[in-house]
This record gives sequence, structure tokens and C-alpha cells, in this order.
Amino acid sequence: MISLIGFSGLILSFIFNVIVIVSYYYKINQRFNHIFYLALYCSLFFMCLSFFALMFAYISSDFSNFNVFQNSHSSKPLLYKITGTWGNHEGSMLLWLLIMSLYNVFFSFNITLEDHVRKLTIVFQSFLYLCFSLFVILTSNPFLVNSIDSNEGLGLNPILQDPALAIHPPVLYIGYVGFSLILSLALAGLILNQLDNLWIQVIKRWAMFCWLMLTGGIALGSYWAYYELGWGGWWFWDPVENVSLMPWITGLALVHSLMITKQEQLLKRWVVFLSILCFSLSILGTFLVRSGILTSVHSFAADASRGIFILILFLTITGFSFIIFILKSPHSNKQINLLFINKTSALIINNIVMLIACITILLGTIYPIIIEVLTNKRMSVGAPYYNSTVLPILLPGFLIMSIAPMLSWQSNKLDKIKNYIYILIVISILTLLITYLTKFNIWGFTGTILGLWIIAASLLSILHNCLKYKFKKFFIYNNALIAHMGVGIMIIGITFSSIFQTKNNFTIQTGEIVNSGQYSLQLKNLKIEEKNNFQELLGIFLLHKKNEFLTTIKSSKRYYYVSKVITTEAGIYHDWFQDFYLVLGNEKNNKWSITIYHNPLVSFIWIGVMIMIFSGMVGIFKR
Amino acid sequence: MNKIFLFVPLILVMLISIFCLVFLLQGKDPSKPPSALLYKNLPDFDIINLFDDADVISNKDLKGRIMLINFFASWCSPCKVEHPLFFEIKKKYPNILLIGIDYKDKQEEAINYLNTMGNPYDYVGMDNKGLIGLELGVFGLPETFIVNSKGIITYKHLGPLTKKIITNEFAPFIQ
Amino acid sequence: MNLHLSSNKLVLIIFNLLILLFSTIALSDEAIDDKVKKITSNLRCMTCQNQTIYDSDADFSKNIRQIVRQKLIDNQSEKEIINFLVARYSEYIVFTPQFNRRNIFLWIFPFLIFALSFVFFIFRLKKNPTKQ
Repeated sequence: MISLIGFSGLILSFIFNVIVIVSYYYKINQRFNHIFYLALYCSLFFMCLSFFALMFAYISSDFSNFNVFQNSHSSKPLLYKITGTWGNHEGSMLLWLLIMSLYNVFFSFNITLEDHVRKLTIVFQSFLYLCFSLFVILTSNPFLVNSIDSNEGLGLNPILQDPALAIHPPVLYIGYVGFSLILSLALAGLILNQLDNLWIQVIKRWAMFCWLMLTGGIALGSYWAYYELGWGGWWFWDPVENVSLMPWITGLALVHSLMITKQEQLLKRWVVFLSILCFSLSILGTFLVRSGILTSVHSFAADASRGIFILILFLTITGFSFIIFILKSPHSNKQINLLFINKTSALIINNIVMLIACITILLGTIYPIIIEVLTNKRMSVGAPYYNSTVLPILLPGFLIMSIAPMLSWQSNKLDKIKNYIYILIVISILTLLITYLTKFNIWGFTGTILGLWIIAASLLSILHNCLKYKFKKFFIYNNALIAHMGVGIMIIGITFSSIFQTKNNFTIQTGEIVNSGQYSLQLKNLKIEEKNNFQELLGIFLLHKKNEFLTTIKSSKRYYYVSKVITTEAGIYHDWFQDFYLVLGNEKNNKWSITIYHNPLVSFIWIGVMIMIFSGMVGIFKR
Repeated sequence: MNKIFLFVPLILVMLISIFCLVFLLQGKDPSKPPSALLYKNLPDFDIINLFDDADVISNKDLKGRIMLINFFASWCSPCKVEHPLFFEIKKKYPNILLIGIDYKDKQEEAINYLNTMGNPYDYVGMDNKGLIGLELGVFGLPETFIVNSKGIITYKHLGPLTKKIITNEFAPFIQ
Repeated sequence: MNLHLSSNKLVLIIFNLLILLFSTIALSDEAIDDKVKKITSNLRCMTCQNQTIYDSDADFSKNIRQIVRQKLIDNQSEKEIINFLVARYSEYIVFTPQFNRRNIFLWIFPFLIFALSFVFFIFRLKKNPTKQ
């Protein structure tokens, strides 16, 4: 029953989107104007109905629905029943549609744009919706009826039973799918030849919002990977991670180049190109993940026919967009104000750097596919490749970030350069001294110094602005600088946590104490806890630092009955400057193997991300 | 000049799509990497007979016949699934040499296993340290290799065999 | 027999002896640990999903870690060990794509377009009329 409601909702929503498009072509008549918007709202209504029908089926453990049967279990906690809705391929595609629809309706409330541009954008968005809706209906229908009469489901992937990962998909999708609206906006602007100031103002806000959500989603995902996988790290250059990183980078480039467009009224072609690229990469990413063409820690059930369908969608949508781009591309204005160094050229260089980084990641991700097709040999392109290509390419970008605050928009003149230079030199000497006296590592040194430069230059610039404007419109002048400070903090966090990480293996008995660095760790006891849907082996450890009791750490292994999977839960003690990270291993002769990681400055990464998100939020709402 | 640049993204999109499409249509499975030893000579190794520790043969002595080498173990549950199929292979292709290699297993448990499940192999070798497995790049049981009469590995299958695989994929290598 | 050696020759002999000495002395435990870490964090655990052998707790990984350690104790070089594993488990097992003809494009391309766009940028700068 509930499946029937859900499926009807899906179909009706599809039909109403067709009506949106059709009524656009009969827009001459005023009456159709109402139908246009009415159909749009109706499509959202039925989409919501469909989505909540599925959610209801999950909450009520309605195993007559095949999707629920496959991915849920009655013993699961309520929260994970709800989030189980999008914890599988079909459900997550339904969420994808819901978000697309939401974007379309919310965008229709935007009255900044001229009416015809807005309407064409809505039409394109509806068209994209139709494409994906067709995909869901034909290949990934979540409302199939279970042919077996069953009182119990097969359970949700235990690794997904986690708060961070439960909210990770919606946040990520709001970003990822949001780029569809950016694409629609770009296409509408291109076709109507209306890439004016208003258009830029509107696309800037939406792009910023999408990019922020994507940032949040990726951060949640990597935080989850950090404590759930128990591998001690938070980024593994896994194909699925790369796939979300690519639109993130182009989104970042887009947000930045929109900044130049505002100042210079130029580079429209570039902006449109990036707008198209963002969603293209989103679809390509979806294809790579959902077709099962890549192996990954975050795998979905693979299916080749789905893969081919998304591939066709990818080819159609991006092909169409790029053809429009070729045909209607705005004439580039040659009088771009490229001085040797000013803010414009700095931003352009950064844009290029970001695009090349993105292309490199794309190349690394699909190169094994190309090689296997051509030579039938399997190869891996893993973390070492990305570390030795992407990072050096990004370096000049970071370098420019650190000097950016002293550049001006219009002229070649450097602003108050002396102060900056002094500070940068002092910082460099100090860092060099400190790293020389401790562990010297060239990457560690480079990362630290770049991070510090960026932070210092941004701070100094904020200070200048405050002196000049006396805190008036503080955020208008300083918002970008605050974001850059966040980046600086993040760079330091990334550098330290990846380069100065230490890993030690121990075996430990109950009551025994092991020493690791400044810490000493005692295994207090081990116990087995029976939970509703899993059994947990809990190791309770006492952590001391220099003979002072800090905290008890719990590190555990969980055995999920239904799916017969064992997961690890790392025990983490967050210090301000160092994470103490504990993974419980296997038992041998009453001795437990444990792995202790010292991850310095990991918290800086999350703090940096939060600062970036905060300043992005301000950026959206400031006027 | 500038116009040409505009076409670059479109061409890239086409290329990526074509490669991915070919990959998908060829039915490649990302979880099953092709073997490094395919179309190479079978490496030399000595095999100790599972039923008789004193009986050691070298695979060099076995050249000249088509060999099917199957890695199994008593602890491996998918192996049990494919086990009966070897009797069928035996019946259908009597001229090939069926070699079973007991991988990282205890001798008595393996003997027990073969006694209860039946022994379709012409020769069962013991590899309790996984050394032969290492030579052949075995990492997940069961794995099956076909070696032609010249001693070249012509086929490798990862995971349990099925009837379909035997009729569709084995045929050209076994006859 | 003339035992008179020039000081030059003496230095050379001592130097050679030293090299011989150091090459035969087995690596210390800690050095081996470091090398095992370095090698295995570049290897894929074939039975896991995208995890390195260094990080993984799977049987396969433990086994390979042991093999790598044993080979290091036997004084094999990193390259020999990697080649040994690649010959058996295919190139798929190494996370760093090998620097050969097939992968040259993969390694060169990012830096090539980087250099090209840099040149292009400079070129555009020069063409640009500088207005102060």
C-alpha cells in the first residue's frame, strides 16, 4: 500500500514536471503562467509524498517493500531506520530527486532575476529532474514489492549505523545535487544571452550555498572515516572521496571567479564553463560510484545496467551543455586587467591551479579504467600518486593565498607591503629554527610555513581594515580574509596530522600498562555488551599523561548479527594539540593487540573547516 | 584558436564516456583483478602429497598435460559450493589433470574434508604455509588456474566456479 | 713482498673494508620496521577495499608484511621486493603507479599542463597593455 502511494507520487511528480516544461512553451497566455508555477509546486508536493512514503515504510519496518526488506531490520534503532531511507542506492536517488525538486521550488521564489531568465532556469532544472527521475523509475525503483512474504529484513550495512554518516548523505547531496541548479542557471543565462550583473549576483549566492554544503558533507564524511574505519587517517584518496573532491574544487574555483567577475565584469565565459563543469563532475562521480566501476571503502551495490544508464545521462546532459556552451559562448572581452600582480591575476592563477588539480585527480581516478580497457591489466593509482602530483601543483596556489591580502584590485601597487614582509620573514625564521631543532621534514616545513603565512597575512589585513574602517561593516571587508585564515589553520592541521603521525602496535593484558610517548595506557577491563542489533566487545582503557589521570577511553569492536559484519570503533581522546587514537585489535593468548596513533593537530582541520563554513554563511547573507 | 579550446571539454566528455562504456560492456568486475601470471609460464614448485608426506613431486614432471589447479581449504566455505563441480569436470574432460592444493590448512582437517566431500582430484598437494599460493599470487580462496600442455597459464578464475563458467569460459582452454 | 702501501691506497682499502662491513651487517630492528612501514604502506591489501597492507589487519596483509620483513632481513632491496610482489599479484598491488612507458602520461600530464598554462599566462601578461 505504502509502496503504491510512494510510486504514484514519483510518477505524478514526473508528470507535473512535464507540465512545467510544456506550459513554458505556451507562456503567451497569462493563464499558463499560473499553471507553470502550480505544476512546479505540485511536483514538489508529490515528490515529498513519495519520499516520506519510503521513509514511513522504513520507520514502520514494512517488509512488503523490497527496498526496506533488503536494507532494514526491525531491531534497528529508530534513528537509523529513518536515515536508512537514504542509506542505500535507491533511497539515496530518491533523496537526490527530492533535493533537485526543492532547489527548483526555492529558486522560483527568487525575485532578483528577470522573469524570463528565472523561468528558463526552472525549465532546465525540471528537465534535469526528468532525466534523473527516469533513471530512478526505470532502474532503481525503491518501491518494488517484495515477492517473498517476510517478517524480517536483511539489515542495513552496519558501517552506516553511525550518527555522522547518517546525516552525511543529505548534507553532501544538498551540495552535490545543488550544482544542477547552477548548471540550469548557466544554461538559461547562455541561451537568453543574459549573463548580466543580476545573473552573477544570483548565481554567486546559490553557488556559494552549494559549495558550503558540499564542504560540510565532505568534512562529515572524512570525520566519520577518521573514527569509524580505525585506520588512523581521515583522507585516503579513495576513489569515492576523489569523486566528491572534484566538484568541490571546481565549485571553489567558481565561487572565486565569481568574485573577479563582480570586480571586473569579465571572464564570463570562464564562469559559465565552471558552472557546467561542477554538475558534470557530480554526475560523473555518481556514475563512477554507482556503477561499481571502482573499488572503494564506501561502496554501493553495483549494477552495470544502472551504470550504463547514468553514463548515458552524463553524456546527454554534459554533451548538451557543452554544445550550448560552444554555440552561445559569450565573446571574451580581451581587456582583462591582468597586471603582473594584482588581485585579479592572483585569482586567475589560483583558478588555473585548482582546475589543474581537479584534472589531475580526474586523470588518476579514471586512468586505471582506461588502462584496463586498453591492455586488460589492472593497476592502482593511490595516495602516493596524488600526494606527489596534486600537492606540488597546489603549492603555488597556497603561496599566492599568503600574499593575496597585500595585493590590490586595480593597480600593481602593493599595499603596506613592509609590514607584511617583516611579519612573513619573522615567521619564516622562527619556523625554520623550530623545525631545524626538532624533526626536520621538507613537506612538514613547507606546509607549516605556508599555513602560518596565510594566517598571518590574513590577520594583518584584518587589522589594517579594522584600523581603517573602525569595525564598520566588519564582515563585508574581512569575510574572505576570515575564510582564508580557516584555510591556513586547516593546512597546518593537515600537514601535522599526516606527516608527524606516529603509529605503534602493542599487546596488552588486563591491568597491564603500556607507555606511548607522554601517555601511558592501562587496560582496565574488557566486557561484552549485548545491544539490540549488535554485540560489542568493549575495551575500557585508562589514559594517563605524565602520571596524571586524563580520561577513560573506550575502544570497541562490534559484531552485527544480521549482516555478520565486524566493525571497529576507534577510541579517541581529543587534546587540543594532539589526538590520542586507539584501535582494538585481535586477541592471542589472552593478550590483545592494540594500535595507538598520535595524530597531532587533527582538531585544526575541523576548526579550519568550521571557520570556512562560517565565513561562507556570512558571505551568503551579507549584502 | 580560442574556438578550439571550447571543444576540449566536449571531446574529453566523449572520451571518458567511451572508455567507461567499453569497460562496462566487457563485463569486467572491479573486485576481481586479472592475474599477473596470465599467459606466463607456470612457476616451478614442489608439492608434497597431502596423504603421504614422503611423496613429493615437482610440477615440472607434470608438463605435457593440461592441468587444472584448484586452491581450496577446509575452512573455506565457498570452496564447498564449487567442490561437486570438479566431479563433473572429471567426467566431462577425462584427459585433464586435476590438481588440488590445500592452502593454509591443517593436514588432518583437509583429509577429513576430502573424505566427507569426496576427492575429485588426481593429485592433492599440501601448501600449509601458503608458499605455492604466494608463487601463484593467490589471495582469496577458491582460485582456479588452467595450465596448457606447454606449461603456460591460460586462465584464472577467482571465487567459486559455477556450471555456467565451466561451460562458457573453460571450454576453449580445456579441449 | 713489498708491503709498502701508499697512504692513498690504505685509505681506499679501509674504505672498502668499511663498505663491506656495513653491507654485511644486517639492518637493525628499528630500521627494518621503518622499511617495512615504507614498503607496505604502498601496497594494496588485495582482500580489503582500498586499504594499505600497512594499515590492514587482514590475514593477507599480515602474511605479506611477514614476507616483506623476511626479505628485508635477507638483504633484498625495496625494488626487488616490489618486483617480486608485482610479478605475482600484478601491478594492482602497488598504490604508486610504476614509472614506465604505459604510465608516463599519468605522471607527466599534470605537470605538463601546469607548465603550459603558466607559459600561456605569462604570454597573456605581456600582450596586455600595462596601465598604471
